[in-house]
Amino acid sequence: MARDLMDIRAETDELTTDKMWVIMGPQHPFSHGLWTLKVELDGELVTDAEPIVGYLHRGWEKECENRSYAKIVPMADRLCYAASMTYSHLYCMTVEKALGLEVPEKAQYIRVVADEICRISSHLMWLAAVGTDLGNLTVFLWCMREREYWMDLFVRLCGARMTTNYPRIGGVRNDITELFDRDVDRCVQHFEKALWDIIALIDDSSIFLSRMKGTGILTCEQCVNLGITGPAMRGNGVDFDIRRDDPYEAYDKIDFEVPVLNDGDSYSRYMVRVEELFQSCKIITRAMQKIRAIGKNAPYRYKAPTNVPAGTAMCRLEDPRGESLMYLVADGSGKPYRLKVRSPIFTNVSASKPLVVGSRIADVPVIMAMIDMCLGETDR
Amino acid sequence: MANTKKVMDYKYTSEKGNVENMPFLKRYPRNTAKTLWVMKPIVKVFQLLGKTTVHRPVCILYPYEKMWVPDNYRGRPGLDFNMCLGCGMCVRMCPTTAIVLVDAPDDDGNIVKRPQINMGRCAFCGYCAEYCPVDAMTVTPEFELAEYTREDLIYGPRRLAYEGTNDMMKVELEETLISDVKNGNPERRIKPFMIDRPELDSSKCISCRKCEKVCPVKAIKMVEHGTNAKGRPILWPEIDDSKCVCCHNCVDDCPKSALHIKEVL
Amino acid sequence: MAYSSILDWISFSDIMSNPWYPFAGDYNLPFDISYKLWEIIGGGLAWLINLILPGNPVSTWLISDGVCVGGGLIIFMIVIFLVVFIGTLLSLWEERKVLGRVMDRRGTMIGMKGFLQCVADGVKTFMKENTIPKKVDMMTYMWTVSLVVGVSVLIACMIPLSDRWFVVNYDTGLLIIMAFFALAPFFILVSGWAQNNKYSLIGGMRAAELMISYEVPMLIMIGTASLLAGTLNIGDIVAAQRDIWYIIPMFIGFITFLFCATAEAERVPFDIAEAEAELVEGWQTEYAGMKWGLIMLADYFRGYVSCAMVTILFLGGWNIPFVSDSVNNFLPEIVFLLKTWFVFFLMIMIRGALARVRTDQIVNIGWKVFMPLSVINFVIVLLLKVGGIY
Repeated sequence: MARDLMDIRAETDELTTDKMWVIMGPQHPFSHGLWTLKVELDGELVTDAEPIVGYLHRGWEKECENRSYAKIVPMADRLCYAASMTYSHLYCMTVEKALGLEVPEKAQYIRVVADEICRISSHLMWLAAVGTDLGNLTVFLWCMREREYWMDLFVRLCGARMTTNYPRIGGVRNDITELFDRDVDRCVQHFEKALWDIIALIDDSSIFLSRMKGTGILTCEQCVNLGITGPAMRGNGVDFDIRRDDPYEAYDKIDFEVPVLNDGDSYSRYMVRVEELFQSCKIITRAMQKIRAIGKNAPYRYKAPTNVPAGTAMCRLEDPRGESLMYLVADGSGKPYRLKVRSPIFTNVSASKPLVVGSRIADVPVIMAMIDMCLGETDR
Repeated sequence: MANTKKVMDYKYTSEKGNVENMPFLKRYPRNTAKTLWVMKPIVKVFQLLGKTTVHRPVCILYPYEKMWVPDNYRGRPGLDFNMCLGCGMCVRMCPTTAIVLVDAPDDDGNIVKRPQINMGRCAFCGYCAEYCPVDAMTVTPEFELAEYTREDLIYGPRRLAYEGTNDMMKVELEETLISDVKNGNPERRIKPFMIDRPELDSSKCISCRKCEKVCPVKAIKMVEHGTNAKGRPILWPEIDDSKCVCCHNCVDDCPKSALHIKEVL
Repeated sequence: MAYSSILDWISFSDIMSNPWYPFAGDYNLPFDISYKLWEIIGGGLAWLINLILPGNPVSTWLISDGVCVGGGLIIFMIVIFLVVFIGTLLSLWEERKVLGRVMDRRGTMIGMKGFLQCVADGVKTFMKENTIPKKVDMMTYMWTVSLVVGVSVLIACMIPLSDRWFVVNYDTGLLIIMAFFALAPFFILVSGWAQNNKYSLIGGMRAAELMISYEVPMLIMIGTASLLAGTLNIGDIVAAQRDIWYIIPMFIGFITFLFCATAEAERVPFDIAEAEAELVEGWQTEYAGMKWGLIMLADYFRGYVSCAMVTILFLGGWNIPFVSDSVNNFLPEIVFLLKTWFVFFLMIMIRGALARVRTDQIVNIGWKVFMPLSVINFVIVLLLKVGGIY
């Protein structure tokens, strides 16, 4: 709809009015963090856009060069507040690769479970944000309510809600506790039921659908050229998921589906994410079965040497938001020489101009919500 | 105006997966006319209203009632003053350098070194409890730490004490040695970093006795190995394996870097 | 007449027999109350003055017919406003509690089940700094907000609560209320320009865009209802729904009017003028402190008026169907307010369940959905009228 209006504007010059730049952010309700989207408006139509990030730059990569390897794990938690475990997991994987250390099987499955819980809690936060961006607070609070159960699971698993500090180089911090073992299946069952309620609020409401359908359209080629990864990419018809196509940890031993839709608008990205929520529940259930089959006394953490031999290592995993990657240059000492983070959002947000140009200003929050901004990892 | 839009049907078409295993994509998108456009959400909202009117909402009234937290909850660190060795392992492992060792009188009035934690810097990562060789440092489920000044946030060794410490709060660092796995005995060991031992490069040692002085558990004894050219005794440290907790203090304080840790992997 | 005790000065006379009585033959309860209040105040004053200066003319002037009506009218204004104000605060409280329950939280908790939170918020906004941006057009900036608030308060007070609780009883009362009701978007538009802020400008434009989409179907529906009743007098429309509410013949109209009224009150899903997701606060962005507090209050006044209009046109006003007249006339004001709060409850549910629509969609909905529905409703009513059922 929006693009058609643009065509009409282009054909009839006399309708063209003065354009103005509106600076949305850094303190703007839509931005979900500190970043700015400058949009050029012709009436209500967006004709140009420019994202500005960097307000939250903390010098994370430089900080890491002054710390021993073990001390970076809690710092990696702080990269992303919605899915903290994935980054510390990624960091541990990278260091393990540099050490040539294979983690115990049980730790692999525990990491898978923890990662998927992170994915669910991150996606729920995203779904909540979609609700507020569209002006509905009920979706927000229902999603946050469900998210609390997963946060509680984290408390039972490792004692902290958000900054979990759970993966370790060589395994995980502690074995799964009895409470976690008891509650995880209950939580999954409860969540699979409760999610249908939230979905009914969104997918059965024609207002939500009309807001999401046909906005922020990208083609498959554009998406690949812009380097968009994650659910936003799979919503555009690129059939790629690191968990399935380049499996790490124990993902190749677990059966799950990767949702891919070809339509390339906000609604298809939404659908991919919601389906990933259900698939994550399945992965958790199956991985927990494997963990129970492995037995209680199996090792879950190998002792890792303090110093990493000189060399480089690169590792990537499927973040809730896309493909995150870490590159480690070690010089044989107890501290990394260089640690580079590739955050999916930093790349995805650079695609905001092709995403929002041509839509209305009312659609900008919805389109950018489908990118699922997280500034901690973007600015580092 | 050419209609270049492709048909939007939101169907899973890939051959790599099976849509039957996808509970959401299998059912949606639905025709919203069948759910009366906006009626289903309104009905859902009415349902929840009825539910929360009969039962109470999930909200808890925080200052008046609190959520139950398990014992392994990572609140502020706690310290058992008398169990602590003053070895400084927590200081070494703290990622935010929130911990410093301070002099404090113990129950007999002797001055000993004990950790003091600045809660304003603490990241609640639990490393101090994890790496404490004697489980003197614990995590506690105490998380209400607001104070009026920053000075009040600094917890001295006595203030760090926590009543009712139990086993769940003593974070146990369980690791398996890869050499054990290769030997076919993948057992978990509690705090295996404690079997690392400092090793002496005797050519560098200048017999300064510093390692003996800084060792918090008095595991180092200087043993005489003959005399040097000037007739003075050559003293090399000898480590008592039963006492050593591998706190790295001797390694750190050695003026000539004659000691280093030999890791057991 | 010789006055001896204070009771001689305060004579609760019949207001209808007063030659200055302003409501021409209709009994008016709030005026009765305020008239009697004035008689107590004025009579007490007159007695006091007479004690000091016996036989002075001021005392007798104070309890003369004209002064009693004048003083009564001043108290009448306060009484009318207070009732509406408290009714609106109660609907604000209702929204907070019901919306809280809908979202699985508790809503406000402080004092009188959370009601005092509204008062606390009012005090808080009153104490806030009155920030005025440097480059606003001062005159329009201040005037428009006063007009938005003033018009909203005016129409809220003009809604009759029963056939004995009214301010004016014109034969075209419905039209006057609707005319004043439709005024606010103009002020919002001008205010958006005056604030010199891009968000406010877009918000003001959106208010105008919103108005052209819902106003026409809404007026058609009002015309339909008055056609069915055969009058534009609110009291007569309500009296025509003594036993069968107009929701029965005009069910389509009721649904459409409910949504139009939601748009009129600028509530979710039609609050595009202050869409906080993209426009921060829309046209209210630059208003701070008590100005913003008054705007919010005016919003709730308008919500109250919307609900009252739905009640008057479709839910039988202050009537309870199938009861005797004595029961019906017992406390019609309370019945009316309860019905209004019920309609507000429906609006809260709509707000809880739905998202905000886009600007082009609201025009689409207005002209492609609401408009045909209102015309269908009109045709049905016309058939009923021609068929002689009404």
